Amino acid sequence: MAVDTGLFVAMTLVYLVLIIGLGYLGYRRTKEDDDYMVAGRKIHPVVLALSYGATFISTSAIIGFGGVAAQLGMGMIWLTVLNIGLGIFIAFVFFGKRTRRIGHKLRAVTFPDLMGKCYGSSFMQYAAGLVIVVGMPLYTAAILIGGAQFITSTLQIPYTTALIAFAAIVALYVVLGGLIAVMYTDALQGGIMLVGMTILLVLTYIQLGGVIEAHTALAGMSNLVPDALVAGGMTGWASMPAPGSSIWLTMVTTLVLGVGIGVLAQPQLVVRFMTVKDSRALNRAVLVGGPFILMMTGVAFTVGALTNVYFYQTDGLIALAAATDGNVDTIIPNFINASMPDLFIVIFMLALLAAAMSTLSSLFHVMGTSLGFDVVRRAGTGKATMRPIRIATVVMIVISVILAFVMPGSIIARATAMFMGLCASAFLPAYAHAMYSSRPSLRAAKMSLVTGTVAWFAWTAFVHVKESAALGLSNLLFGVPAVLSAPWQDVDPLVIALPLSTAALLVGCVLDRHEVAADSEESAGAA
Amino acid sequence: MFGIPDPAIWVGYLLALGFTLACLVYGLLNWNNGVEGEQDGS
Repeated sequence: MAVDTGLFVAMTLVYLVLIIGLGYLGYRRTKEDDDYMVAGRKIHPVVLALSYGATFISTSAIIGFGGVAAQLGMGMIWLTVLNIGLGIFIAFVFFGKRTRRIGHKLRAVTFPDLMGKCYGSSFMQYAAGLVIVVGMPLYTAAILIGGAQFITSTLQIPYTTALIAFAAIVALYVVLGGLIAVMYTDALQGGIMLVGMTILLVLTYIQLGGVIEAHTALAGMSNLVPDALVAGGMTGWASMPAPGSSIWLTMVTTLVLGVGIGVLAQPQLVVRFMTVKDSRALNRAVLVGGPFILMMTGVAFTVGALTNVYFYQTDGLIALAAATDGNVDTIIPNFINASMPDLFIVIFMLALLAAAMSTLSSLFHVMGTSLGFDVVRRAGTGKATMRPIRIATVVMIVISVILAFVMPGSIIARATAMFMGLCASAFLPAYAHAMYSSRPSLRAAKMSLVTGTVAWFAWTAFVHVKESAALGLSNLLFGVPAVLSAPWQDVDPLVIALPLSTAALLVGCVLDRHEVAADSEESAGAA
Repeated sequence: MFGIPDPAIWVGYLLALGFTLACLVYGLLNWNNGVEGEQDGS
C-alpha cells in the first residue's frame, strides 16, 4: 500500500509500545502455571469476548476471505451466519459454560488436558496434543505469511525481515507473558479491529452512493462474471452460485461449513472458556462477541464483494482484474489503498496488523502448551513447569517460521479452512460427547478422534483435488491428482470426515452399552 | 431486499443480523446470571 510511511511508522510504534506494555503487564501477573496456561481463570468478560473474537478473526478472514468474497460474491455472508450462530452463540452458551465448569472442576489447563481428564485417558490428551502440534503449524504459517506480506507491502522492507521481525515481536510477549499477555494484547487488538472495520463499512457505502445503491449496482454486474467462473457455476456477485456446481461446493462445503463448523472445536478458542471465573462472564461476553464478529466477517465479505462496484466504476474492471498478479489476497488492500483517505489507510493497516498478531499469539501459545505440557510431558519427562513450556513454545514458533518460508504465498484462506476442518473432524464429536455425557465413553472418543483424523487426511491427500494435486501423494501412488472425479473432488474433507467421526462415536457408544449390558447379564446369571 | 435480488443472499444477511440480535438479547437477559454456585442453565 502506498501511504504516508512516516505516519504509519509513528502509529505503529505507539501501537507496539502499548502491546509490549500489555505484554509486560501479563508477564508481571504470571506467577503460577495456571496464570501462564489459563490466565489465572479470572479474565474480565469484555477482555474474553474481544480476545476470543480477535483470535477467531485473523488477516485470513479480512484479507483472504474478503478477497474470496470479491471473487465469488456475497454468498460468503453464510459464513458470517455460522460465525455468529455457531461460533459465538452456540459456542459460548452450549459449549462454553460446560467447558468452563468441567475444566475448572478437573483443573484442566489446555484443550488436550481437558479431553484427557474428561475421559481419564492419557491417550486422548497425547493424541489431541499431537494433532495440534502436527496440524496447527500449517495454519500458523499461513497467518505468518499474511502478516509478513502485509508488512512487506506497507513498509517496503524485505519479506524475510518482515516475517522474522513479526514472529519475534509476537513470540516475545507470548513466551514471557503466557495467556494473560496474549489476552490483554488481544483485547487491544480487537478494539483496533472494530474501529477499522466500522470505518471501512461506512466509507465504502458512502463511496458507492449508499447501501441500496451499492447492492443494486453489484447485482447489475452479473453479466461481467468471467467465463471461467460462469462455467464453474457462478451467477453473479449478489447471488449464490448454481447449486451443486463446483464453485457452490467450494463455497458451501469448504468456506462456509469448513470454517463455520470448525470453529466449535478450535483448541485456541476452547481454552478461553476456561479463563473466566464463572458463567456470568460468558453470558456477558456473548453480548460483545456477536456484534464484534458481525463487524469483522460481515463487513469483510460485504466490502469484499462491493469492491467489484468500486473498481468497475473507477477503472472499468472487476475486482479480480484489479488484483495484483491475479492474487485475490491483494484485492482488499488494493481497494483500501485506492479508495480511502490516508488516515484511514493507516488505521486499517494497524487493524490488519492487530488481526494477524492476535491470532498468531494465540496459536503460538496453544502450540507451545500442547507440545510442552500435553505431548512432551506425556512422553515421560515429568511434571510440566513454565520453563519447558516456554522452550516448547519457542520450538513451535521456529517450526512455523520455517514452514512459512516454504509454503506458497496465496494459501491464507485455504490453510485456515483446512485447519478448521481438521479440528472439527478430529475433535468436535468427542468434545461434545465429553461435555454432554455424564459418563463419556473412552472407546467411542478414541474411535471418533482416530476416524476423523484419518478420514480428513485421506480425503485431503487423495480426493480433494485442490490439496491432493499440490501434495502429490495421489499422483505418486495412483498416477492421478485425485482418485475420485467431480463432484467428489470438490467436496471438502470436513463434509466426509465429520459425519464419519460422528458415526464412529455413536458406534463406540453402542458397543460400550452392549458390553455393559452383557456384563450385567453375566453378573445376574452368576448370582 | 436491501437492493439484493437473490433471496438466498438477503436471507443470509437477515440471519446474520438476527443472530447478532440474539447475542445482544441473551447477554442482556443473563447479565447477572451464572455467578459461581448458581445453576448455569445449560
